[in-house]
This record gives sequence, structure tokens and C-alpha cells, in this order.
Amino acid sequence: MSLERKDDYDHKAWMKKKDLTPVEATFLTTLIWLDKRLRIVDYLELLETLYYRVNLQMPKSHTEQYNLDNKFWYWYPLYTLGLFSTLAYVVAAISGALLGFYYSPATTGDPTTAYSSIEFIMRDLQFGFMLRSVHRWAAQVMVAAVFLHMLRVYFTGSYKEPRELNWLLGIVLISLTMVFGYTGYLLPWDQLAYWAGQIGVEMSLSVPLAGEWVAQLLFGGFSLSQSTLQRMYIIHVFLLPFVVTTLIAIHIGIVWVQGIAEPH
Amino acid sequence: MSDNEPENEEIRSDGAGIVAPDDETPTWSERKARKTGLSRLTYEYFERARREDQDLRTESDYVERDVLAFPTWPHETVRNLSIASFFVGMILFLSATMPPHIGNPANPSSTPAIILPDWYLYWSFGLLKLNPLNPELAILGGQKLMADRTYGVLANGVVVGFIAIVPFLNKGSARRPVEQPFWSAVGVFGVVFAMTISLLAIKNLMPMNVDLLFDLTFLLPFVFGTITYAILKTMREGYMYNLNRRYYRLRPPK
Repeated sequence: MSLERKDDYDHKAWMKKKDLTPVEATFLTTLIWLDKRLRIVDYLELLETLYYRVNLQMPKSHTEQYNLDNKFWYWYPLYTLGLFSTLAYVVAAISGALLGFYYSPATTGDPTTAYSSIEFIMRDLQFGFMLRSVHRWAAQVMVAAVFLHMLRVYFTGSYKEPRELNWLLGIVLISLTMVFGYTGYLLPWDQLAYWAGQIGVEMSLSVPLAGEWVAQLLFGGFSLSQSTLQRMYIIHVFLLPFVVTTLIAIHIGIVWVQGIAEPH
Repeated sequence: MSDNEPENEEIRSDGAGIVAPDDETPTWSERKARKTGLSRLTYEYFERARREDQDLRTESDYVERDVLAFPTWPHETVRNLSIASFFVGMILFLSATMPPHIGNPANPSSTPAIILPDWYLYWSFGLLKLNPLNPELAILGGQKLMADRTYGVLANGVVVGFIAIVPFLNKGSARRPVEQPFWSAVGVFGVVFAMTISLLAIKNLMPMNVDLLFDLTFLLPFVFGTITYAILKTMREGYMYNLNRRYYRLRPPK
């Protein structure tokens, strides 16, 4: 009796018996090697289940059922506004990350460090002027596209029955988009930014009951200071990107699951 | 249960038998049988829902997507790529032709004459200027219930709240504007109001009488809403007439 461990599942003998092509043999050897270490068969089973779930038979869409393909195309520009805002978001994210390499949120100095870093970007940095311009316009275009997207959804009644939750999620998203815009508007710390921030502080102080708490949380005090700029910066480059990206993914995921609501 | 059947009971030592990956995993029925209360209801619902899905799938107007739908490659992909490049190009064109400039550095000691947020927040900024609409209550001796500023901030919540509950107010299967004149009129009212309230926000830049501007802010949305309602209501007559005519052509009255 040998001390060698007996192969309960003698895969090698089984493979010999099967008379496989080289491709099949390589595949099976790799699969068995990986499976012994990682138990990937379990995961493959999951994938297989997913495959069948994804390839379920779907109902005919409205356009298919009534053969409207030839009439649907002229609605298409209105139906691509969601994609347009997502694209603008991606452009803004890329240009924003590049701007973030050169921007510093500090109110020290005269003019402030924040203002000087914007001046540096616009004057001295290669392509900096264009970079800021792209970021700014991507943001403007995104807000405009989101507004128009909401109007399209409203006037085609797409918010109706199975899609109420996505409509609510959309309202959260459009609000967060505007918060994105507002926090970014404050970052250059020029006159417009400063006094827009002042109005923001006063508005949050006017919220009943929670006003002072809101002002402390968002603006770091009752008047504008270093902590205001710092908070706007962190909200703009850290908090909102995570939250908004997640919500956009969920928003699009729900559209994917529920299908696009075409006008009847 | 299949694992209660005799041929699965015997344990084979040669290792050739097929073993389920995990025979501890209970089926839906077993899970249901073990549970009580809400979780049992949940499982029962799952079973019902799956049966419903299955029935729907076997119905005749369900088709294989791959056969009839618009092909992803190349049609959909090429269309999406071209649209994406067009949009990104548009953004680059805008930023190359109209780059933003930067104002004077922040100076807390000098308030500028014009304070404005970005254009997309004008509506919210305009809602802060509703002072004349803040009622002076006789019960408080002509005092206002809340400060004008608080009133304006709460107005933001009212607007967003109304938009949020639209799906719960407007139900039914109507989709086209012509099928729902009232709600389309509400939509046009909202769009026009968003524009006029934005103009109210920049009233010190508007070359017109401020009182007139304030009145127009609330009049114009009603005017445009009413016109929309009248037009769509009229169109709906013709729309329904066509539908009915088609219906009676197919099924002429006996």
C-alpha cells in the first residue's frame, strides 16, 4: 500500500478515457487545476444561473409590438438626454480630477491661495485654461441635460406605474447635481463665489428648527471662513462623487431592469 | 424531495457518483415550511411571483430578444458611439469658444451690487424674493407667521415636494401629452414658472418695472398652461375621433 494519496476523483484517467482534442485537454487541465485550489465550479454554477437569468425571454417592447421602429427615430434625441448627462458627468469627472492636481482650497494669503491656484491654472499651466473651461462647460451641459431629461420624462408620462421610485431617485439626483454645481461655484473664491456662499449660509440659517445645525454642518460656521471652503471642497471632490456615481449606477440599473418607457 | 428518494441514499465509495454541490441548501418549499409569519409570507410570495413569471413567459406574444430586437452590434453600438463623440465634441467646442473668466478675488468688506448663483439655481434664488406673497395674518395682529427668508426657503421644499409626488397623483396608462391635457398643462405651467421665477431672481438686471415683472411671474405660467390645456383638449377630440373611427371600421356596429 503506497503512502501516495489516492485520487478519489481520478480526473486524469477520466480525461484519457474521453479522447480529447488538445484545446479541450488544456482547458480541462486548467479548469481542474484552478478548481482544486479555488473551488471555481461553485462560482461557475452561479455564473451559469446568471446567464440563464439574463437570457430570459422578454416581452415585446411597444415599438416591436406595433412596428413603430420607423416612427420612433425622431424621438431619439429626446431619449438620449440621459446618456448625454452621464457623458457630461464623465467628462467633468476626468477634467475635475486633472484640475484637482493643481487646486488647493485655502483662504490664506492675499489674494487667497485658492484664487491664486485658479489664476495659476488659467495663466501658467499648459492647457490649464482649456481644462478649466472644459470642466465648467461639462458641468453646465450636465445640469442642462438633466433638466431637459426630466422634462422629457414628464411629458412622455414615463414616471408612471412601475417607475415611480426611479422618478424619486431622479429628483434626488437632480438636486445633488445642483449641489455639485453650487459647491464647485464656490471653489474659485472670487467675489461671486464668496457672496453666493454668503447667501447659502443665510438660506441654511433660515431653515426652521435645524437651521444653525445645517449651517454648521455644511458651511462650518455662521460666516464664511477657511472651514467653509474646505467643506465645499471635500463635498465637491470626495462626498458627492461617491454618492452621485452610486446613485447614477442605480438609476441606470433600474432603467435597464424596467426597460425604457416609450410613449404609447 | 429528491434527496429522500432511495437511489440517492446509498453512499458510493468509488467517487463516481454525482454529489450535489451543497445538499444542505434548502429548497424554497423547505424554507417556506420552516418559517412562520412574515418570512413565510415572503417565501410564499416568491413562489407565486416565479409562477407568474413562468406563465407570462409561456404566453404567445413573448419573443426571443435576439431574433427581433434592434441589433446591438453594429447598429446600436455605432449609433451610441457616434452620439457620444458628437456630444463630447460639443462640450469641447463650447469650452474652446466660450471659456469662463474669473472675477475679482473675494473681499468680505465690499458687497457687490449683483450677487448671483449659477443660472440653474436662479429659480431657487427667485423663490427667496416672494416677500409680497408672505401672508400677514390678522390673528397675529398683522404680523407675518415666519420671516420672509424662511418663507422663501420653505417654498423650495414645496416645489421639489410637488414634483416628487407627481407619479402618485397622476396615475393611469395615458402617456402622450394629447391623452392627458391637464397634466401637460401642469408641466407647461412648471416650465414657464421656472423661467419667470428665474427672471424675477435677476430683477435688478431686467429692463422693466419690478412690480410688472412680479405680476408677470405668476400670470404667464397660468396663461401658457391654459393655452396648452385648450390646444391639447381640442387635439384630443380629433385624436379620439380617429381612434374611434378606426375601431368602428374594424368592428362596424351591427
